[in-house]
Amino acid sequence: MNSTFLFAVLVFLSLFSYWFGIKRSLTVAGGIDNKKYLDCLPEQFGLLTAMVCGIPALVALLVFNSAEQLVVEHMITSTLPTHIQTLSSIDLGLYLNNIHSMASSETALVLIQGAKEASDSAVQTQYRAALELQTLNNNASWLKTALVLMIAVGSVIVLVGKFSLTYKARQKSETIIRGILVASSAIAILTTLGIVISVLFESIQFFKSVPPTEFMFGTQWSPQTAMRADQVGGSGSFGAVPLFAGTMLITFIAMLLAVPVGLMVAIYLSQYASAKLRSIAKPMLEVLAGIPTVVYGFFAALTVAPVIRNVGEYFGLSVASESALAAGLVMGTMIIPFISSLSEDAISAVPKPLKEASLGMGATHSETVVKVLLPAALPGIVGAILLAISRAIGETMIVVMAAGMAANLTANPLDSVTTVTVQIVTLLTGDQEFDSPKTLAAFALGLMLFITTLGLNILALKVVQKYREQYD
Amino acid sequence: MNKIEIKQDLSQIKLTETVGNIYADDAKMSIRHANVFYGKKQAIDNVSLDLAKNQVTALIGPSGCGKSTFLRCLNRMNDTIDMCRVTGQFMLDTQDIHAKSLDPVLLRARVGMVFQKPNPFPKSIYDNVAYGPRIHGLTNSKTELDEIVETSLQKAGLFNEVKDRLNDSGTGLSGGQQQRLCIARTIAVSPEVILMDEPASALDPIATAIIEELIDELKEKYTIAIVTHSMQQAARVSQHTAYFHMGKLVEMGKTEYIFTRPSHKLTENYITGRFG
Repeated sequence: MNSTFLFAVLVFLSLFSYWFGIKRSLTVAGGIDNKKYLDCLPEQFGLLTAMVCGIPALVALLVFNSAEQLVVEHMITSTLPTHIQTLSSIDLGLYLNNIHSMASSETALVLIQGAKEASDSAVQTQYRAALELQTLNNNASWLKTALVLMIAVGSVIVLVGKFSLTYKARQKSETIIRGILVASSAIAILTTLGIVISVLFESIQFFKSVPPTEFMFGTQWSPQTAMRADQVGGSGSFGAVPLFAGTMLITFIAMLLAVPVGLMVAIYLSQYASAKLRSIAKPMLEVLAGIPTVVYGFFAALTVAPVIRNVGEYFGLSVASESALAAGLVMGTMIIPFISSLSEDAISAVPKPLKEASLGMGATHSETVVKVLLPAALPGIVGAILLAISRAIGETMIVVMAAGMAANLTANPLDSVTTVTVQIVTLLTGDQEFDSPKTLAAFALGLMLFITTLGLNILALKVVQKYREQYD
Repeated sequence: MNKIEIKQDLSQIKLTETVGNIYADDAKMSIRHANVFYGKKQAIDNVSLDLAKNQVTALIGPSGCGKSTFLRCLNRMNDTIDMCRVTGQFMLDTQDIHAKSLDPVLLRARVGMVFQKPNPFPKSIYDNVAYGPRIHGLTNSKTELDEIVETSLQKAGLFNEVKDRLNDSGTGLSGGQQQRLCIARTIAVSPEVILMDEPASALDPIATAIIEELIDELKEKYTIAIVTHSMQQAARVSQHTAYFHMGKLVEMGKTEYIFTRPSHKLTENYITGRFG
């Protein structure tokens, strides 16, 4: 039986166990009329039975599946002649792959025939190994089915044997449910941890060839390394400062637009707009957040950037055709709904009595907003801004199209700059060797970016906490 | 237009239904023919009464009778509610407070309000009291502001309890202290009238007694209107009592008469606990 089918059988068995648990508990009670003598409801017995049937068997199935491949391969390798066993791991892998494809594509009869008729002893060995593999796989499959079903049925039988009037089915199923919840959150945390660790290891590889100080404080970014010794132009300098400066510049411009506009939109919608207007305007604003970033990208590159260049030229300024300003402004527009929507929620959540108290003191509407509502909503607003900053730092498409690729170290918004995310994309696209510093640099950049956003998060949390201590 | 006029004509007739005495010799506020509508629903039906200067007027009546709505008309807090429409004449001294030309912001500095649930701002005790003087620009220096804060807290009977922690948050005080802080905040802008909407309903008996004593002292300087569900409280703190029922003013008069010899059957039923 293959795993998918086995899984379906398990689901069916669990459903059956639910019903079986209910039946058994009623039998213990002595009929449906006596169910009040049970400490727990029959459904709770059923739930517990279903979980005891499904969960251990499912875990066994998962463990078996992940271990199966390793064990079978190990067993096959041990039957092979020694000169093949001593091959390098890559060649041995190729050889085993070969056997795998033979075993899965040919029937057993063909393999037996092949083993008999092949003239070459090496080919004969291959056929024999493939045959062996088929048998092993078959055995493993049967073993798996038997094991999983035995666990499922066995645990139900053991459990049902313990049923009594005072059996604590409810408490036990609650414990199991809590365990499932803990396991789910553990998966989320472990995944994050896994990403961090994998990025970290690749970064360490990178820092073996480029010193961290050069990476973090170098002001020259040109990641083209020479492939041959006689190649020109491949200086290979990895100073990440211009990239982070570019990211910060564009994010700053975007925030300069998005924070004030977004906040004012939030104040207008939550305090001044009529209910009818709000019900139309809010969804329309949120459409802004739904536009694909690539559309924003060509809007920035084809519409906004030329306008900025023309206006700049009118005032006698030299503006690059791909400017940080264009990218920042368009990114800011994209982010407005993030800030306005979340801030509006935060402002609307401020208790009404506070607003009335201020109005009742003779404060004007705008004084009330500035002195009472905004301070009270500040934690929510800071959260919104923070989310927007993370979004801006991580944004790639707009910058690729509108801000260019030139790693200039400049604070001039009219210049062309590049960002960390754009460089990660350019480093990893196309055919790349996975051990050159050029490719590994992407991981180091990712790590730095991660640390930066993490730092920002912690900083903002501290700010919010301090504010709360002061005013709560 | 026509409809409203008819409605008002009808209420003219019903006005005779208010028994007792709605007039005060020395009226701080005089309300005539007040009507309040929430959408199509009429919450206040042709109410006329005076608030006597430097006295406490209690507004009593069963829940939903419109007494809080009426109170909120007196400093135009109902303006903040969409759908709410108010007609009638609301005189503060010689000024109609619902006149178009009148700025509700200035009005609310003259007619302060204390709410049912203590609602101090999430700021320090000092900043809570200084909020009004600051927004109205009442002071020119820090010392003046300090003085206002101190005297307001003293008048509210809170100063001795909080004088060492004026910079602590106002929300950290007990419920009774918070309500007195709100009263201090209200009197910091020197209003002429203070409206209290069930100011002690969220407090324990001891805190309630302190607030009631305070109300008695405050009437020396301010004209007070208080909405309350507790008839004992109305009897203890007020000089005049108005009994509301279903949006109408049923009876009004001196508190001692209302509670000993009510003229209207509805009033009698309510104060004797047979109704409401």
